[in-house]
Amino acid sequence: MQPNQPSCIVLLVGALITFVAIVGYFVGLQSPMNPFEKTARVQGLSRIAGATRTLETIETGSIPATDYSQMAMAIRAKASSMLAQNDSPFSTWSIPQYATTEQAAVELGADNKISLEEKRLALATRKKNRAFNGAPPTVPHPIAETSSESCVACHSQGTQTATLRIPRMSHPLLSNCTQCHVGTASPDMPNAMVRANHFVGLAAPEGGPKAFAGAPPQIPHSTWMRVDCLSCHGQASHRGLQTTHPWRQNCQQCHAPSSTLEQTILESNAKFIDSINTGSL
Amino acid sequence: MALPQPAQSSPTLSSNAERRNFLKTSAMAAATAVASGSSTWNLPVIQGSERSDDVKWNKAPCRFCGTGCHVQVGVQDGKVVAVAGDRNAEVNKGLLCVKGYHVGAALYGEDRLKSPLLRRGDKYVAISWDEAIGVIADRIAAAPSQFAFYGSGQWTIPEGYAALKFMKGGLGNNHIDPNARLCMASAVTGFLATYGVDEPAGCYDDLDKCDVLIMWGNNPAEMHPVLFSRVVDRRSRGEKVLLIDIGTRRTRTTTHCNHYLEMKGHGDLAIANGIAHLLLAKKTYSQEFVSSFCNFKAPDDANPNLHGKSISFEEYAEHLKPYTPEYVEELSGVPAEQIRLLADLFGNPELKITSLWCMGMNQHTRGTAINSMVHGIHLLSGHFGRPGDAPTSLTGQPSACGTVREVGTLSHTLPGGRLVATPEHRQQTEEIWKLPPGKINPVPGFHTVQMWESFCTPKAEGGVIDTIWVQVTNPGQTLPNLNKLFNKKEGMKEKFLIVSDVYPTATTRLADLILPSAMWVEKNGMFGNSERRTQQWFKMVEPPGEARDDCWQTIAVAHRLFEKGFDGMKDRDGRFLFEVLDQESKPVPIWNWKNYYDTNVDQHLFEEYRLFSRLKHKDLAPYAEYVKARGLRWPVVQVNGQWTETRHRFAGGLDPYVSNGKRIQFYHSSTKDDRAQIWFHPWIPPAEVPDAEYPFMLCTGRVLEHWHSGSMTRRIPELSRAMPTAYVEMNAADAADAGIRNGDQVIVESRRGSMEIQAWIEGRGKPPKGTVFVPFFDETKMVNNLTLDAVDPFSKQPDYKKSAVRIRKV
Repeated sequence: MQPNQPSCIVLLVGALITFVAIVGYFVGLQSPMNPFEKTARVQGLSRIAGATRTLETIETGSIPATDYSQMAMAIRAKASSMLAQNDSPFSTWSIPQYATTEQAAVELGADNKISLEEKRLALATRKKNRAFNGAPPTVPHPIAETSSESCVACHSQGTQTATLRIPRMSHPLLSNCTQCHVGTASPDMPNAMVRANHFVGLAAPEGGPKAFAGAPPQIPHSTWMRVDCLSCHGQASHRGLQTTHPWRQNCQQCHAPSSTLEQTILESNAKFIDSINTGSL
Repeated sequence: MALPQPAQSSPTLSSNAERRNFLKTSAMAAATAVASGSSTWNLPVIQGSERSDDVKWNKAPCRFCGTGCHVQVGVQDGKVVAVAGDRNAEVNKGLLCVKGYHVGAALYGEDRLKSPLLRRGDKYVAISWDEAIGVIADRIAAAPSQFAFYGSGQWTIPEGYAALKFMKGGLGNNHIDPNARLCMASAVTGFLATYGVDEPAGCYDDLDKCDVLIMWGNNPAEMHPVLFSRVVDRRSRGEKVLLIDIGTRRTRTTTHCNHYLEMKGHGDLAIANGIAHLLLAKKTYSQEFVSSFCNFKAPDDANPNLHGKSISFEEYAEHLKPYTPEYVEELSGVPAEQIRLLADLFGNPELKITSLWCMGMNQHTRGTAINSMVHGIHLLSGHFGRPGDAPTSLTGQPSACGTVREVGTLSHTLPGGRLVATPEHRQQTEEIWKLPPGKINPVPGFHTVQMWESFCTPKAEGGVIDTIWVQVTNPGQTLPNLNKLFNKKEGMKEKFLIVSDVYPTATTRLADLILPSAMWVEKNGMFGNSERRTQQWFKMVEPPGEARDDCWQTIAVAHRLFEKGFDGMKDRDGRFLFEVLDQESKPVPIWNWKNYYDTNVDQHLFEEYRLFSRLKHKDLAPYAEYVKARGLRWPVVQVNGQWTETRHRFAGGLDPYVSNGKRIQFYHSSTKDDRAQIWFHPWIPPAEVPDAEYPFMLCTGRVLEHWHSGSMTRRIPELSRAMPTAYVEMNAADAADAGIRNGDQVIVESRRGSMEIQAWIEGRGKPPKGTVFVPFFDETKMVNNLTLDAVDPFSKQPDYKKSAVRIRKV
């Protein structure tokens, strides 16, 4: 059968389109969506540095138009210009102690090795926005004064970017965020004097007790309002607090909560055998 | 009275410690070696003692508001180091608010007062306690009737009881009044006028059951956040609850509400009448409830008094006739449609409706009226007496109910709802206090505003009060119209101000004698919260320096007077008024500080006070029951040998004092017929309204981060950083008209005073055009220099919410 001329052209064009599409598909697959090229990062940083210089000259209470990718840096720059004290919650922002996006990529099955220094750094950083271990963290950034929805928008999932670490809520959704999490002064408020106070908060535990060497440590804190372990120990958390074995999903299979820390003390002990229950064998 | 119980070795403390040790050891039963593992799965373990092991936890109610959350206080090395929400507490179910989580730091501000200070010229000199007690005793002995005691809804129950007994029993002087006069006096008169007895019939359980929650001039998202979350979190669980905010400005509460009804000041009076009008017009009121359980009342203009005059249902309807939705819209600014919406909700018997209010309705020159009227709408519509159907008034201080309303630390009352003006009541009190007959003065003393006005008036001009002792409060910041009621004291040599406090405040600024006090868990205490819940805690840490319990201070002065031979401090047998006997019936010298904790003074005072509680069906359980509980709601009565609390009053099957078979019984009815009173009150404009000269209406109030005058919270870094200073909230359009931008310094002035403050536009609250808001927590921004001292005619409570001001840019 002799193919006729028009249908031959249609076939040829069709084949060409298919070929281009297939090539395009594979090329697309191979090239990363957001290439992490060193040059791009350096360029980005220099642009941000420029933005910071500009910000210093701008009046308190406003942020100049900034493109979205630089928003975090811009807020930070403004905040640190406002609150220059060392103990301000903003000062935690200036230390990029958490992993960058590149480092945070999880390789399945690999150990996540964590150094002692990283752990100490994480604990020190974490302490900066908690009055004592167990206090709900204070909010280290300005908030929408009347809306809890805006908190949930970022903190329901949580994430980590090159410049920001957004912790995921460690507890089920409660709809009045500012009940427990005290904010930072609104950028519209003046920075007034804070009186000295000698309250020394309970220190965070530096590790859970183990029944024997190599045993999984017990959870060294209350699990009340901290039911999502990955909120603090997941890949988006402080590097030094991250789990060393990220492929394991069922934390409390091995790590038991502590009855003494749970604040639900029984009103009376059941006494089946007195001598055992009083512990005076 | 021999009730030995050393506070330091209470049974719960020691057994808890043992239990914890046991739990700890059993949790780690096999533990012989705690070592850092070498497995790659392990987080590196930093060696060293795990400090949390030696933390001792014990319960206490929170020091701040009237919600009455229980906290677990963690103490390590004699200091409070942590605070957790108490998961065994019904009020807060394990949660706290930002203030509660940081309450521990309130003890450790750098400038805690640590020794008694006496003013000598322009300076203060540290003096001994012995000298300080002597100064007070001499001052009182010289002129006992010119002495006044200004107390607080933050007094613990035993502190307030001791002060009341000292004044009314010891001195025969009724000039004792608390700061709660500024806070909930109108709630009291509202309850009395309606039910014949004070305090809510419902409780916080209603918040879990209601279908509709109406907040009248209330911003619980900031002021009672734990209670507010209890409601809004029901929505997160998939329940339906309709929230309605009737307010004078948009707040954090508004954002959670289905409806926002923006009213003008005093609009609430019109709204309540509008609802009642529609309930009658549409015949949607509960005919059964009204005919069985209610009478009608109206104010008696010829002879103004709290109980007014009885009117018929027809007269009541006639009074309400003019209050059509359209007329109400005109008076209140709330659209007629929204008035109909409220009336339809109240007219629906299927719904359960809870009303909440706090300062908006209480700090009101018609506070008694609006309180009575909101009760009235609930009664008229039958939304009363079922769980979820309740008119509930909230308090702002931790023991406004416990210490002020129940103990009766007001100028006209005695414990247990007794009145000084009633001979029978005086007799009962003299009997319990073992006083000679006729000791108690039958004439009510000065209420707060009168007391301070008299104190700030020279003696030559009739200012009879020459000495005031202030405990646990800060009137130099919180009285209205400070220039008239407080600041005038400056330089008045003949007047003497004694202030017991924990920090220097606006009040200590003018004090002649400053006494350092112990606070919160530095002493034993008991509080009573907004839902009739009486709570107890033990001393956990030592107060700093020379600071001592307020209750000890009162008893020490009483004993000094006793030593001086002052008859008032003796009972009819010549014994010391506050005598406490040990097991061998020997007096414990509790007036010596070193012996004060040899016994539990709180327990002795409470057991005596408890006798009064049965006189008005507000029965309290023995002290030991409160040690075990996270508070108990009165009346607490014994049922089958168990002390049992009461959640809902006046309802059959729920209140032990309601007779068998009765659905509802108002057993303290002022008309003696087991019926409550439904009041009509007319709409009346505020005491001061904006005019051409002072065109803005100023409302004052609180913020989430700070508690009242901020003397504690302004010393907590987390809270202070979050809310560093006061501000004036303005409407954006008003600000634009005046050329005021966000952050500009402005002058706000009234006929009484002025202040410079920063403007905050489109901030946390959004006032409508023509109104402004300033919080009062900041001692550097004294908004009460501006406020009006007009009071409600019955409750004598001032209106802090409606003063005319003008504003200009600096």
